[in-house]
Amino acid sequence: MRRLSLLLTLAIAVFSSSLMASPQITVSNGSESRVFDRNELEAFPQTTIITTSPYFDGEVEFSGPTLARLVETLGLSGHSKIVLKALNNYEVGADLEELLSLDAIVATRRESKTMSVRDRGPFWIMLPLSERPELNKEDYHRFMVWQLSGIELK
Amino acid sequence: MVNRGALLAGLFSRATVVFLFLVIAVLLAASFYTYIQDSKLSSGSLSALRMASWNLARLGNEASAFDRELALMARGVGEEDQLTMRFDVLWSRYDYLLNSTESQPTRDHADNAERLSDLFESLRSLETSIQENLALRGGGWTTVVDRWREQKAGIQQLVIDNFVGDEASRRVSAVEESLARLTNLRFVTLAVVVAVFVYLAFAMAFVRRQSRTDPTTGLPNGQYLNTIRNISPDRAIIMCEIEGFQMILSDFGHDEGNELLRVFAKKLRKQLSAGDELIHVSQNGFVILLMPRGKDDIQETAERFVEATSFDWRTGESVLRVSSVMGVDPECQDQCLGWDIRYQRAHRALSQARLERQAYCINREDLRRRIEEDRLIHTGLIRFFNKEPGTLSLSLAYQPIVSSGNRNMIAGAEVLLRCCDERMGCIPPNRVVDLCERYGLGVTLGRWIFRQVARENRDLFNNLGFNGNLSINLNPAMFNRNLVRDVQQLLIDGGIPGPALCLEITEDNAALEFLKINPLIDGLHQLGVTFALDDFGTGHSSLEYVRELHVDRLKIDRCFVEGIEDSEDKARFLGSIIALAEQAFIKTVIEGVENEAQWRLVEEMGGELIQGYHAHRPMPMNEYLALLLDSKTCSPFQSMVRVSGQVH
Repeated sequence: MRRLSLLLTLAIAVFSSSLMASPQITVSNGSESRVFDRNELEAFPQTTIITTSPYFDGEVEFSGPTLARLVETLGLSGHSKIVLKALNNYEVGADLEELLSLDAIVATRRESKTMSVRDRGPFWIMLPLSERPELNKEDYHRFMVWQLSGIELK
Repeated sequence: MVNRGALLAGLFSRATVVFLFLVIAVLLAASFYTYIQDSKLSSGSLSALRMASWNLARLGNEASAFDRELALMARGVGEEDQLTMRFDVLWSRYDYLLNSTESQPTRDHADNAERLSDLFESLRSLETSIQENLALRGGGWTTVVDRWREQKAGIQQLVIDNFVGDEASRRVSAVEESLARLTNLRFVTLAVVVAVFVYLAFAMAFVRRQSRTDPTTGLPNGQYLNTIRNISPDRAIIMCEIEGFQMILSDFGHDEGNELLRVFAKKLRKQLSAGDELIHVSQNGFVILLMPRGKDDIQETAERFVEATSFDWRTGESVLRVSSVMGVDPECQDQCLGWDIRYQRAHRALSQARLERQAYCINREDLRRRIEEDRLIHTGLIRFFNKEPGTLSLSLAYQPIVSSGNRNMIAGAEVLLRCCDERMGCIPPNRVVDLCERYGLGVTLGRWIFRQVARENRDLFNNLGFNGNLSINLNPAMFNRNLVRDVQQLLIDGGIPGPALCLEITEDNAALEFLKINPLIDGLHQLGVTFALDDFGTGHSSLEYVRELHVDRLKIDRCFVEGIEDSEDKARFLGSIIALAEQAFIKTVIEGVENEAQWRLVEEMGGELIQGYHAHRPMPMNEYLALLLDSKTCSPFQSMVRVSGQVH
């Protein structure tokens, strides 16, 4: 009985995770709102960043569309601020122009694999810290939002 | 000025400098102490504390979010996705806190690391129960909620401990103390730096002033002079020295010497007008840069300076006559040369003044020409004495001395020096003698004359038996211990009998101590040589010379003869000189008799021998010889027959 229930649990867990397999990001600009899932995000031109960071050991490869490309789908005109939101209720605001100048990507894969929430996925704003060492400081670290769930232009 | 100097000197005394160094040392020690204190702080800096608080606050938030979902789920209204998601978010937070480098300070603080890993352990142990409850969709949430509640309390405690713990306030106050220390240190440092800067500024001014000021007179010194690069063409340069200062120093010592310098400088300063500069360039050397004087020309100005610096200086019991010697480079006439050349010219004028024993000398075109000529003559003389080919040559001329009673009776002749240069023509003999004396050629010249006289007259005395006299002027340099030997070797051994020789000395030349000069004269008297005092009555001497000096003849200067035929007074004066000599058993030779009237008067007065144009002009040796051998002449030959025999 116990064994059966365990099997059942596992089966449900696998099933439910497959149901949840389509995490999304909401991009809005106040009037309009668009939702992207992983497939859509990965349909954009992909950029790869190989970098170190204070959050993990060694150099790690991330890939995904650039943040700039993603927000451009809604058009940037009339907006000067951007707010990034995460599943853990973290929110950070930034000057739009400044943030777009950081060459950030919305990483969908780490070492070519998708990221779970436990791995700080499914989406993670990644900056090329190794390539641009001037970004490797606290002021910019706060934009590296993990468990990204929403982007709002203001 | 002196007080200011003393103040500055005090400011730079050893005590002050040591004090300053001590202050700086204390400051360094304080900085070091502050550094040590603050380096203890840096291991747990404020930013690390902030980061720890922040991260743990996030942990608290995420725990609360999970707590809410769990509570909803326990009541049966929760959403499975949300619960799993919150659980995973919490999980990732632990992962971040326990493994990322950014969280290192958070873990390092107190026992955070241990507490975090315990809490993570508990969270993970909830996973299976949660999965089971979700799978069963049952109401067995109570155990999960209970176990979670313990964790939640642990998390809250952790957050509180890190947020408002003793450690945080202790750190904040430590940082405040550090800040206070830094502020104090900054203030002290600033004050000391300002003080040191002020001190250095004073030091620079002091050193600069010191290095450009003569310590004795307080005047600008040679260093200052070195900074002069240019001088306005209308300014004159005077170089000035105290005559015989080394002698004064050796007689009176340094302190008195310095005192004299101060007095001297003061007297110079009194003569300055607005814009003039007085510089103390060397021990007793001063340079004056003169602004143009309206009416006075440079000569008058120089004379005023000379006059002002000639004074009697009293020190203790002694009174000393102080005088100065000056060289002047006057204002430029047409084109003007650079400072260096002008300064050099002033120098040259000073040397020239010293050489010529003048109080001052102005470096004008004529002086430069004279100096150039002197140089040419000097070079020519050296070449001549070394028998090198050259344009200058020396020769001898003879001016017969005749008896006043019988002008055909030639008693002898005075040997005169002739100097001719192909470029400059004839050069006055006294100039040649002066130059030789000045440049150390005096003895060479004297010996050359001796040798030449012997060479030219040897036959006259030895072969022709001439019994007359030969007067030779002695230049001052010949007055040395070797004079007797020189006369013996060069003249007597050269064929001129001692008794035929008469050495002429002038009063100025003889202005030596009788004690020194008389032994020389006595020594030569033993060889039969006689002495004449030349230019009698014109020098600085007194009758004492006539009395004390062991001379055999007086040569009375032409100035006493001049005009005797027109002035009874003059005639009487000359007569008394001749009488004086007669009384002293001294023969006289009257020089400069130029006409018959003078001749007759001199003869009447009893003057024995006459030398002058009216009898004979100076002539070369061959003419002199011809004159002696002339049949009209009655010269003192030992054997007239022999002479006639030889001539005819």
